Amino acid sequence: MPVIHQAQTTSRFVDPWPYLACGTAVLLILAFVSSLFFQKNLKSVKVQATEEEPVELEPVQLNPQPVGALRIDVKASIPDNHWVTYEIQLRDQQDKILTTAIKQSWRESGTWQEEGESGTWQEDDLQGGLDIRAAEQKQERLKIAIAVLEYTDTAGQDVNQPVPFEVSVRSGVVDTRYLWAGLVGTVSLAALSLKAVSAGGTKVIAKTIGDSDVGARATVGGCHKLLQVTVRVTADKNTPHHLTAYLRITNGSGEQIFSRSFLVACNFRKDAEGRIEKATGQLQVFLIVEPPSSYGFHVEITPDGPVDETQLIVQEGVRTLQAVEVMHIHPA
Amino acid sequence: MLTKILAAASLLIALGTIAASYSQRSALTLRQATPPTYWPRYGTTLSGQYRGNTWVSLPNRSAYGSFRGGGPSAGK
Repeated sequence: MPVIHQAQTTSRFVDPWPYLACGTAVLLILAFVSSLFFQKNLKSVKVQATEEEPVELEPVQLNPQPVGALRIDVKASIPDNHWVTYEIQLRDQQDKILTTAIKQSWRESGTWQEEGESGTWQEDDLQGGLDIRAAEQKQERLKIAIAVLEYTDTAGQDVNQPVPFEVSVRSGVVDTRYLWAGLVGTVSLAALSLKAVSAGGTKVIAKTIGDSDVGARATVGGCHKLLQVTVRVTADKNTPHHLTAYLRITNGSGEQIFSRSFLVACNFRKDAEGRIEKATGQLQVFLIVEPPSSYGFHVEITPDGPVDETQLIVQEGVRTLQAVEVMHIHPA
Repeated sequence: MLTKILAAASLLIALGTIAASYSQRSALTLRQATPPTYWPRYGTTLSGQYRGNTWVSLPNRSAYGSFRGGGPSAGK
């Protein structure tokens, strides 16, 4: 039976969905960038407060905003081995308390000893913050105050000194914690999706033998079904840099309809002392075979001396990430 | 099919997290009951709550005095 085979590079089987998944990760990066354009610095000051005397900042304007919130960031500057409990207070124009939030901050250091080793450690947790949104559709002026509730050293002794704070107030601040979570999620799904393309399709043949030639038969074919033939070779240390894989396809009556040799480049795995342990090589061929029928796939690796194992995998209905060269085999 | 589901899921995650961050659902809204979505920043906890639209300090607000610092030595 006369058979024609022609190679053609085609993007007909490209799967667009992994690119959409990658696009969502890009969307999140854009969301990070654009969040910078919404925020506005209202205030950035250094103040001091004592246990007796809270410090009050100049009032700030709170506007109802569709995007972001009013963010108050406070950072206590205390010496080593001190603890301070401070409260961020918000008041309205009538001095009525609108909200309060407490932060327990500390800065400590010391030495450690473990199994004959020693060193010093220093840790702190000084930053506090509050995000506020306006409820009604009205503007209002807010008074922000910082109150020191307790200031002690590590022995629990009261320290009667003012605590310096760095306070910054910004409006239109977007909560990037969600964006980080989203970025992790979309990047992992995009990676999975890229991986899923090469693992897609239906496996119709998966055969491994400890020899250099392997063959199997399966019912495949059709002009809309892309076949992917994967050959994996494991060989010993005497392998040349390139092996030759001879691929043959036979039709239902055993007649050869396709044969071709491919060069397979080998990767060598070395052990800790730099000696070659084994060599591996992989070949991937894309085919369209017509008409749907029973076909035999045979692979022979030469030289066969060093070959330990040959694996033949045929998948049907695969998709690709980019345009690939496809061998179209059909009756004349 | 699998790639379609993964793409749809990642699109949902992207839109959901962008909406949550831009709308600041984790912020405290003045004069409104603390929403379940409130998410404190840097462990700064609210020391009161709204009753009606009046802020009432929590009774355990005075309990801050038990604070004895953090660090590797804390709680060990």
